[in-house]
Amino acid sequence: MADIGKVRLRVPSSIKPGDVVQVRSLVIHPMERIERDAQGKIIQRNYNYINKVIVTYLGKTVVTFDTTQNVAENPFFSFTFKATDPGPLKVQFLDTTGGRYEGTADIKFL
Amino acid sequence: MTDGHLMSRRAVLQALGAFGVAAVGGGLVAVAPKMAQAQALRQNESVEDAMRRLFGGKAIKGGSAAIKLDVALIAENGAVVPVSVSVESPMTPASYVKHIYVVADKNRIPVVTRVTLEPEAGRAFIGANIRLGESGDVRAIVEQSDGTLLQVKREVKVTVGGCGG
Repeated sequence: MADIGKVRLRVPSSIKPGDVVQVRSLVIHPMERIERDAQGKIIQRNYNYINKVIVTYLGKTVVTFDTTQNVAENPFFSFTFKATDPGPLKVQFLDTTGGRYEGTADIKFL
Repeated sequence: MTDGHLMSRRAVLQALGAFGVAAVGGGLVAVAPKMAQAQALRQNESVEDAMRRLFGGKAIKGGSAAIKLDVALIAENGAVVPVSVSVESPMTPASYVKHIYVVADKNRIPVVTRVTLEPEAGRAFIGANIRLGESGDVRAIVEQSDGTLLQVKREVKVTVGGCGG
């Protein structure tokens, strides 16, 4: 899993000020599932999965996802935000091992 | 000691639940102890317990008029099931959609994701790929800024379960 933590962001190419823009984001991450032993008991360990996704635009948090292991491998999230000013849109993915992966898209108006 | 015995199971669960929600609320403190993190969105509870913990028995109204839950009726592969939720609602600081929960009834961890939205999101829309362990209802629950709870349910048939374990 050399690609772990790779973030992809897709933002529409032409945005006008005031538009509500839909963004798609994806991160390469294994999202480990709960494992059980032969008796069906859960093996207690610190599973590595993403438990928080934070979207900030112009430095302000717009959307936050609190997630569990029930989100698929290589999680994909989409959301919207209102484009008011040019600036960075940042998506941060935090996992349970302290990993922090982020992707930034520059929002600009043509 | 008798006091401890008198404390009902429900009271204990509620106390624990409140702690869990608080831990999520303060989740930006990234260095919270690992156990607290694991507790934040709890594992291995029935969907009824999960609902009670999240909403404390508040009435949840049917929201089929406002909420659009988009999910395949038959998911061939439970490991990746695209879900999207959009809500017809104004997104102004006075009235907006605060949280969208995606809950899969039959999963061992029923609460799949809890999304916190700000008015700046412009529209109450989220999409995610989730896992489904077996066929069952998928719910989208919407909490508005005034505390109103709305939900829609949809049954999804899963051919191959995707939660493992």
